[in-house]
Amino acid sequence: MMIDVKMTVNGQERTASVAPETTLLTFLRDSLVLTGSKLGCDVGDCGACTVIVNGNAVNSCLMLAVQADGKDITTIEGLSDFEHLHPLQAVFEQMSSFQCGFCAPGMIISAKHLLDKNPHPSKGEVQEALSGNLCRCTGYTKIVDAILELTSEEASAA
Amino acid sequence: MSKKAKSATKTETIDGLKTAAEGAQLPSVSRIEEHSLLPLTPDANKQTPAVGQRTTRYDARPHLTGQTMYIDDMTFPNMLHMKILRSQHAHAKILSIDVSEAEKMPGVVATLTGREIPVNSYGPSYQDQPVIADDRVRHHGDPVAAVAAETEQLAKDALEKIKVEYEPIPAVFDPLEAMEEGSPKLHGETNVYASKVIKKGDAEQAFKDADLVLEKRFSTQMVEHVPMEPHASIAMWEADGNLKVYSSLGRITLGRADMARTLNMPMSRIRIIATIVGGNFGGKNEITSEPILALLSRKAGRPVKGVYTREDEFMSSTTRHPFIMDYKTGVTKDGRILGRTVRIVCDGGAYCSWSETTLGKGAILSVGPYNIDNIHVEAHAVYTNKTMTGAMRGFGAPQVCFAYESHMDDIAHELGLDPLEFRMMNAFGEESPSPTGQVLESVVVRESLETASERFGWKEWQK
Amino acid sequence: MKQRGRGIACMWYPIGFTVLANPSAAVVKVNEDGTATVLTGTVETGQGSLTVLGQIAAQELGIATDDIKMVSADTDTTPMDTGAIASRTTYVTGNAILLAATNAKEILFEVAAPLLGVRPDQLEAMDRKIQVKGFPQKYLPIGEVAHQAQFVKGRPALGSASYNPPTVAMDPETGQGKPFSTYVYATQVAEVEVDDETGEVEVLRIVAAHDCGTPINPTLVEGQVEGGISMGVGLALQEEILFDDDGKQINPNLTNYIMPTSLDMPDVEVEIVKNFDPTGPFGAKGVGEPTSVPTAACIMNAIYDAVGVRVTDLPATAEKVLKLIKEKKAAEQKQISA
Repeated sequence: MMIDVKMTVNGQERTASVAPETTLLTFLRDSLVLTGSKLGCDVGDCGACTVIVNGNAVNSCLMLAVQADGKDITTIEGLSDFEHLHPLQAVFEQMSSFQCGFCAPGMIISAKHLLDKNPHPSKGEVQEALSGNLCRCTGYTKIVDAILELTSEEASAA
Repeated sequence: MSKKAKSATKTETIDGLKTAAEGAQLPSVSRIEEHSLLPLTPDANKQTPAVGQRTTRYDARPHLTGQTMYIDDMTFPNMLHMKILRSQHAHAKILSIDVSEAEKMPGVVATLTGREIPVNSYGPSYQDQPVIADDRVRHHGDPVAAVAAETEQLAKDALEKIKVEYEPIPAVFDPLEAMEEGSPKLHGETNVYASKVIKKGDAEQAFKDADLVLEKRFSTQMVEHVPMEPHASIAMWEADGNLKVYSSLGRITLGRADMARTLNMPMSRIRIIATIVGGNFGGKNEITSEPILALLSRKAGRPVKGVYTREDEFMSSTTRHPFIMDYKTGVTKDGRILGRTVRIVCDGGAYCSWSETTLGKGAILSVGPYNIDNIHVEAHAVYTNKTMTGAMRGFGAPQVCFAYESHMDDIAHELGLDPLEFRMMNAFGEESPSPTGQVLESVVVRESLETASERFGWKEWQK
Repeated sequence: MKQRGRGIACMWYPIGFTVLANPSAAVVKVNEDGTATVLTGTVETGQGSLTVLGQIAAQELGIATDDIKMVSADTDTTPMDTGAIASRTTYVTGNAILLAATNAKEILFEVAAPLLGVRPDQLEAMDRKIQVKGFPQKYLPIGEVAHQAQFVKGRPALGSASYNPPTVAMDPETGQGKPFSTYVYATQVAEVEVDDETGEVEVLRIVAAHDCGTPINPTLVEGQVEGGISMGVGLALQEEILFDDDGKQINPNLTNYIMPTSLDMPDVEVEIVKNFDPTGPFGAKGVGEPTSVPTAACIMNAIYDAVGVRVTDLPATAEKVLKLIKEKKAAEQKQISA
C-alpha cells in the first residue's frame, strides 16, 4: 500500500507516493534526493537528521513521511544557494566550527531553529538547544562560539 | 581565541550574508542581518605567506551547505544493499551455515559466507581476523554471512532466514584470566600475542635507594570511537574487470593492499576512493566489509552498498583498549624520581587489529615525560572473547597518561610537594634521554606546564 | 555540597608509526597561471588536514592557500600514503608535499633564472612572484614563469617526492632505540566541581597548552585541542562499552552509551606553546591525537583535589566517585572513633 503525501520542502511543493513506514528522513534522502540531512543512528539520538517542520526542530528519522503531510519543511539545502550562505553557515565557515562535517547540517538547522525563536540566546541556551545534536570532532566549542559570535550584543552594536 | 578567528573573515561572504538575507527570506536571517556582524578584515585564504594564517577550510562550503557526498549519500543505477548477520555467541564453532532459504526471499540477489572469500583473513600486524567467520566465531558480533538485496529492509529480513548451527565453546572475557594457562584459547596455544619490554638502569636497586616507594593499580574501560558517519562502502565492477570501491577508509593505500590480498587480485585492478570521511579517530583505519561488498557485487553483477547501523558500529568496529596498569615508583624526599616499573595488560579483544602498535606506544610512553634513569616496563596484549580493540586516538597514551599522572599526584601529595613543582623538577628538557634511549629534541614539557598553569592561574587559585 | 578542585596533567606523544616505515608520497603541479594542484593519497577525515597541507604547498611556492587545489584519497590518481593515522599527516605527508613543491619550484627557478639574469640559487618564491633574493624589485610573476616553463621551455613545473620519518629499531630485550622521529608535549589543567552527596562531577574549565611545532593553521590546531578534550571528558567520566555475562554488549547504541553533548563540555582555553621542529614542514609536528591524552588524567587529579578520593578505574561515574567518598568518610570515622 502506498500513500500520497504533499508537503512544502524548502519553499517548493513536493508530492510523492510513499510506503506508510517511510520516515521523513528516508523520504527526503531517497525520494527528493536531499541528502544533506544525515542518518547517524536512526533512533533519534544523534540529531544528524534534524529538520524544521512547521517551525519545530525534529529528528526526521523519528517522523514518518505521512506525518509530515501538508507541513512546511526546511532542510539544510533550503538555507543557501551556490552564491549565498545563511549567516550561520558563513560564521561556521569563518570560525571553522565543524570538522568532519557530518553533524553540521543538523547542527546548523538546530541553531537556526534556536535563533528563529530566540535571536539573542545566552551561552547556556545555545548549549541546551544543541544538546540533541551529537558531534564527535569539535567538542562543540567552536560551534557554540560561532552562534554567540553571530548573536552577541557586541555584534549587534558593531 | 574567537577574537583572533575573526581575522580569517572572508570579505566576499559579507556580501554573501547580505544577499542571503534578501534572497532567502528566512526570518532569522533578516533579524540577524540588521547588524553588521563580521568585521572586514584581510582574507586569510588569499594572503601570503600561507603558513600561520587562520584560513578557512577548503571543504567548508560543501560541508555547511549539506552538499558533501559521503558514501551513504551516493547512489548508483541498479545498486543493491548489503546487511551482515552477526554471531550471537561470544565463542563457538560454526558447524554449518545454510543460506538457501534466504536466497529464496523476495528481492535477495546474492549471499556470501566466509568460505567463498579467496583469502579469508586480514589485519595490520597479524592476519588473524576473518573477513567473515567461517569455522569459528570469537566474539558476539563476528560476521557469519552477508546478503545483498534490493533494499536494506529486504536484506535485513533475509538475515533471519539464514540458519547457522553453532557449538558453543568456553569463552574468556577477563584479560588477566585469559593469561592463565588453563583459560580458553582464541587463536593457537596462548592468548598473549604481543609483549614489549623497555629496560634501562636498575629499577629494583632504585627502589632500595628511594626514601619513598609508591605502588598502585590503574585500569581503564572499553570505549567506542563514535564517528558520526558509520562505516560505509560501495563496491562495483566495471565492464573491463576492474573493481571500484567507494569507502569511508582513512587509509586507502593499505586498504587497497588488504583488498588485493583478500580478493587475490592485482592491485592495479582495484581502485579505492575515500572521498570525505565523516569522522575516523582511528576506527576507520582498516578494511571491514569492503571485500564482502566486492564479492557480493561480483556475484550480483550490480553495485552493492553497505552502511553500518549504529549497532554494527559498536559491535563490530574496533574500540579503545582497556588497560590494567601496575605502577611502582621510588623517589627521594626532595622529589627526585629514582626508578619506575610499569606492567601493562592490554585487553585486545577477539583479534589483534592495532593492538601490537597500541601496546608498543603505550609501553614507550608509560613512564611519562620525566627523567628517570631506572626503568622497567613490561607490557602484554591479550586475546579475549570481546569486541576487538584497535587504533583509537592516542594508541594507549590516554590510558597510560591517566595512570602516570594520577600516580605523580599521589607521590606529590605524599611528599608534600605542589603537583606542578614536582612535575617541573622531573620533566624532560632539551636532549633528555627518553626511556628508549633516544635523545629528545624540541622538548617543551616545562614550557607547556608553565603556559597552562599561568593561564589557569594555578598559583592564585583558591577553592 | 559541591566541592571545587583543580588538577594538572602533562604528556608526551610521538608523531608517526613506532619504528615501522610509514611513508607519504606527493605530486605538486604548478599550473600555467601560477596556481597549483597537489595530489596526495591521504584522506580528509575531518581534521582539516587538506587545508593544512594546501597551506604548506602554498608557502613553499610563495602563493596563497586559495591558489592550491588539493586532490586526495583515490588509489588510481593519487600517490601512496600511509593515511590519516598516528598524528602523522602534517609532519609526514606535509614533508612529502613540501619536498614535491620544492622540486616543482626548482624548475620554475631554472626557467626564471636566465630571464632575470641570475643563477637559480639566487631566486626565491614569494608573494606570487619569483624574485631575486635581496632584490625583490627584480621579479617575474609566478604565473608568467609557469607559463614560460610549459609553453616556451617545454618543462612543466611538476614535482614529486616522498618522505618517511627516520627511526632506529628497538632492541627486543631492552627496548632501546629511536622509535620515532619526533614528539610533541602538552599540559592540561582542569577545574571541576564534585557533588559530595551524589558523586557527580562537572568539569568547569580546562586550560590546554599544546606543542605542535609551528601551528600551520592556529584555528585548526585549536579545533583539534577542543575536540580532543571532549573525547577526554567522555573517557574520564561517561563512556564505557558494557558487556553481559555472555559477552554481549549491553549498550551498543547512543541512547545508553553516553558520550559528551554540548552540555557536558567545560570552557576550553587553548594555548599553543611556541616551538619549532627543524625536521618538520616549516617547523610543524602534529596535534591530532595528543589533544585527548592528558584530559582524563587532569580531571582525575582535580577530583582528588576537590574531595580527596583517588579514582583508579575509569570512567569516574557518579556511582564510583560517591562510593569512594563514602569509603573515605567511613575510614575517617573509624580513625576518629579509634
